[in-house]
Amino acid sequence: MADNKMLIKFFIASESIFFLMLILAYVNFKGTVVDGPTAESSLNPYVTGIFSLFLLASSLTVWLAGKSLRAQNHTMMKVWLLVTIMLGAIFIFGQGREWAGLIEQNITISRNVFGTTFFTLTGFHGFHVLIGLLMLSILLGLALFGDFKGPKSDGVEVISIYWHFVDGVWIVVYSVIYVWAFFL
Amino acid sequence: MSSRIPLVPENTEPLPSLKGNQGMLAWVSSVDHKQIGLMYLIITGVFFVIGGLEALLMRIQLAQPEMDFISPEVYNQLFTMHGTTMIFFVVMPFLIGIGVYLVPLMIGARDMAFPRLNALSFWLVVFGGILIYYSFLTQSGAPDMGWFSYAPLSEKPFSLNKGPTYWALGLLATGIGSIASGLNNIVTILTLRTAGMTMRRIPLFVWMILVTSFLIIFVFPIIASAFAMMLLDRLLDATFFTPAHGGSAILWQHFFWGFGHPEVYILILPAFGIISEVIPVFSRKPIFGYEFVAGSTVAIGLLSVGVWGHHMFAVGLGDVANLYFSLASMLIAIPTGVKVLNWIATMWGGKIIFATPMLFATAFIIEFVMGGITGVAIASAPIDWVVTDSYFIVAHFHYVLYGGSMFAIFAGIYYWFPKFTGRMMSETLGKWHFWLTVIGFNMTFFIQHFLGVMGMPRRIYTYQDFPYWGSMNLLSTIGAVVLALSVLVFMWNIHVSLRRGKKAGDNPWNAWTLEWAAASPPAVHNFDLVPPVRGRRPLWDLAHPEQPDEPNAKVVD
Amino acid sequence: MEKLGGIFNPSSPEMEALAGLTYYTMATTLGILLLIVAAMIYIIIAYRKKPDDNQEPYQNFGNLNLEIVWTLIPCAIVAVLFILTCNTMKVVDPPVGDHEPDIIIIGHQWWWEIRYPKSGVITANELHIPAGKYMLARIESVDVIHDFWVPELGRKIDAIPGHTNHMWIVAGEPGLYIGACAEFCGTQHANMHIRVIAKTEEEFKEWETKELVIPPTPRSGLAGEGAKLFQEKACMNCHTILGTAAAARVGPNLTHLNNRQTIGAGVLTNTPENLKKWLTNPQRYKQGSLMPNMKLSPAEVDAIVAYLEALK
Repeated sequence: MADNKMLIKFFIASESIFFLMLILAYVNFKGTVVDGPTAESSLNPYVTGIFSLFLLASSLTVWLAGKSLRAQNHTMMKVWLLVTIMLGAIFIFGQGREWAGLIEQNITISRNVFGTTFFTLTGFHGFHVLIGLLMLSILLGLALFGDFKGPKSDGVEVISIYWHFVDGVWIVVYSVIYVWAFFL
Repeated sequence: MSSRIPLVPENTEPLPSLKGNQGMLAWVSSVDHKQIGLMYLIITGVFFVIGGLEALLMRIQLAQPEMDFISPEVYNQLFTMHGTTMIFFVVMPFLIGIGVYLVPLMIGARDMAFPRLNALSFWLVVFGGILIYYSFLTQSGAPDMGWFSYAPLSEKPFSLNKGPTYWALGLLATGIGSIASGLNNIVTILTLRTAGMTMRRIPLFVWMILVTSFLIIFVFPIIASAFAMMLLDRLLDATFFTPAHGGSAILWQHFFWGFGHPEVYILILPAFGIISEVIPVFSRKPIFGYEFVAGSTVAIGLLSVGVWGHHMFAVGLGDVANLYFSLASMLIAIPTGVKVLNWIATMWGGKIIFATPMLFATAFIIEFVMGGITGVAIASAPIDWVVTDSYFIVAHFHYVLYGGSMFAIFAGIYYWFPKFTGRMMSETLGKWHFWLTVIGFNMTFFIQHFLGVMGMPRRIYTYQDFPYWGSMNLLSTIGAVVLALSVLVFMWNIHVSLRRGKKAGDNPWNAWTLEWAAASPPAVHNFDLVPPVRGRRPLWDLAHPEQPDEPNAKVVD
Repeated sequence: MEKLGGIFNPSSPEMEALAGLTYYTMATTLGILLLIVAAMIYIIIAYRKKPDDNQEPYQNFGNLNLEIVWTLIPCAIVAVLFILTCNTMKVVDPPVGDHEPDIIIIGHQWWWEIRYPKSGVITANELHIPAGKYMLARIESVDVIHDFWVPELGRKIDAIPGHTNHMWIVAGEPGLYIGACAEFCGTQHANMHIRVIAKTEEEFKEWETKELVIPPTPRSGLAGEGAKLFQEKACMNCHTILGTAAAARVGPNLTHLNNRQTIGAGVLTNTPENLKKWLTNPQRYKQGSLMPNMKLSPAEVDAIVAYLEALK
């Protein structure tokens, strides 16, 4: 195993603990809201669910990008990277839309423990998505300038591992916030 | 791996050059593990002096009942900064720094796996320290809520000053740096070992750094998320830890100690590593029970993440939790005891040379056991109810962190100074330093066990004239002055030894691990030729071809 | 020679159990320390390198049996300590069951509010209890975390906002037991003393009856003027005096101030002179206290002190 990939794997292990704590904080306060909004009263699991599908799909496309590189198909790699970025951006747009809607109803981070834990958890996840998009864009930019001759590239593989992780975290976050509130 | 080499600029001079003919920029821009390691040591030295002065001011204020030397506000800032400084900017970066210097040498590598990440880690620590100390310049001064920053005292409206915000931001930066160095150490140790250097042969110091690094990458995210929540509370009026708005004061404690207790092991395991290197060399014997010393470290690491609740016995978590945390905490005594007995067994039957590193290592065993046995006692919830938050606890953790970590750090400095600089430290001054440290340290802290059980709470800026409190505190203060004196002697020793110390040569202690095969100080590229590794003590095997450690070892080249 | 306090003077069955466990554990562990010190002294004497001896010693890499033995011995010690721990916890923390609390102890920055829900008595910084009787206390906080600790009577217990704790308080003999807040709670954490005053059953009843009497508000003289000033100045924004309009709970209830032993949670003894000093500038005696310097003139101070002195 190359050290770059080993580094990102341990980094992700470390990051998982970070998200675990944010999730624990959310779970700790779930059901303790005395007054004000809760997940049940203020969220829409279907709209967010649809936007989530875009993020899930982007995991597939980033994998396809890596596969194309291994097959020395540089054009397809660039296409798949671009699709991945677009899918991620759609997810972020969905989250922004959801946040804006909540804030319009005066549901903010300072409103109550639901607001606090919800915005913190989804906010940190969104921040990670943004970082991922930034890295993917750099990757695409470098690819357009002719980097990544393949068939192997630590850069592509490392960012792809990170992107899968961001995706996986979202599955847990969606389950804890939306599935738990609406489908259990 | 080949892609890495062009990214690292080769220095033209053998480093670390203490002549300084390259100017500051060569240091600031360096990605050489030895230079970064030395910068860690220098910066922790600076913080050690600052943190020590803070402690001295506190001890002066407490010398007599109802003293008016410093105000309560300043006192509270002092103990907060003293604790924060000593933990996050002295002991921890020192141990990381000496690890960064030594690990590549000990495993026969050219550098860390990620030299630039290494530099980033270091500068984040420095940046965090500056951020926290900058808060002294703000209008309401430094953070004043104690190093574990209990909510809601650390929250609005009880702390409207900026100190706690700087504190959380600074420690967040430092913590990210620590995670990066933990990741770097893990990858370095797992992938960059020279031929023949199997995991069963790496020096115990490297084992300890490895376990510590795993602890760092798994527990620092806990506190990083808690700092993020605390900052959101303070800056955006989130309500994580404010009970008045539905938050939870106890949640902070779970987060903090979930990190904070493993942190204690982060502060002591590399110190165990130093001791495990020094004792064999000066006893002229291999470490007794290598597998058990390494294995018990892993056991301590695993147990340490499940015992945080023993910091919260007074919270009222209920009998079940209290009993669980009592038992789990007591269990840590077992692997720790195994280590101590293995060190003693290493000395047993040896031909011990009591040079200064060995003096500190020997004293370490006794002082650390003193802190360890009070630690076992307070693992019992009822005893903890008596002594928690009192001076007994102050005494206990200073025995662990000064008697333990700092004694080991001094042992390590005296031991590796010749490697770092090419010169020996003065033995005469070293012995003065040692005896002043032993006397000053025990004088300061032993009596505090009694003050604690007699009813003196910790973190009080003054106390009333209860029977014997004044004289006992005065004794403690005099001890602190002696301890300060010992540090002066130490600094003087460094000063003169750098200039006029005896030339060391490559292996002045006749030691056995790979770093002693490099030049003193090592060349930029560390080794011209890494000696063959066919056992745990490559240099012993070289010197005693008739009596190698592993006579049947396969030659791997 | 003065008597040593704290654990050296256990004054309740709980504290005796705690002290017993502590002594036992410390003695055992100190024994271990002494064994190690003895071994080290022997090693230092016996195995010091002789100046002319340049042979390396026998290279011993370890011994499995020895490792097993010295892993098992600490296991046994831990097992014993754990059993003792369980037993002591039963004595120190008897189950609360469905008892209603006899006392409610509420931590404030930087004083203690004491309420007796069964009789309705409210006081501050002094906990009066009948000696020999187990009293169930509920511990709360209105602001930050405090910790109730009377070293001669028993365990510590945190006062946490948003979380109530219970603890049995008992004193073996009548007497004064001084304690303090043990959890750092801000600027004046050092001056948050608690005085437990254990009395005989009759004395306690007598005290309780006296505390329930609402003292008459003086209408004339210096004290009368003080009573008026108390209402006009900001005093009543923070304090309660029963029988008057002052009913705030920010600061201590002053209804029977003159019966209390100290001012400012133990910073000054409660005498008219000290009360004058305190009112003139509380910040001088308890810097950072939430009671501001009210900038009272000496005449106003005299009047208010005369009034407060009348509150018995």
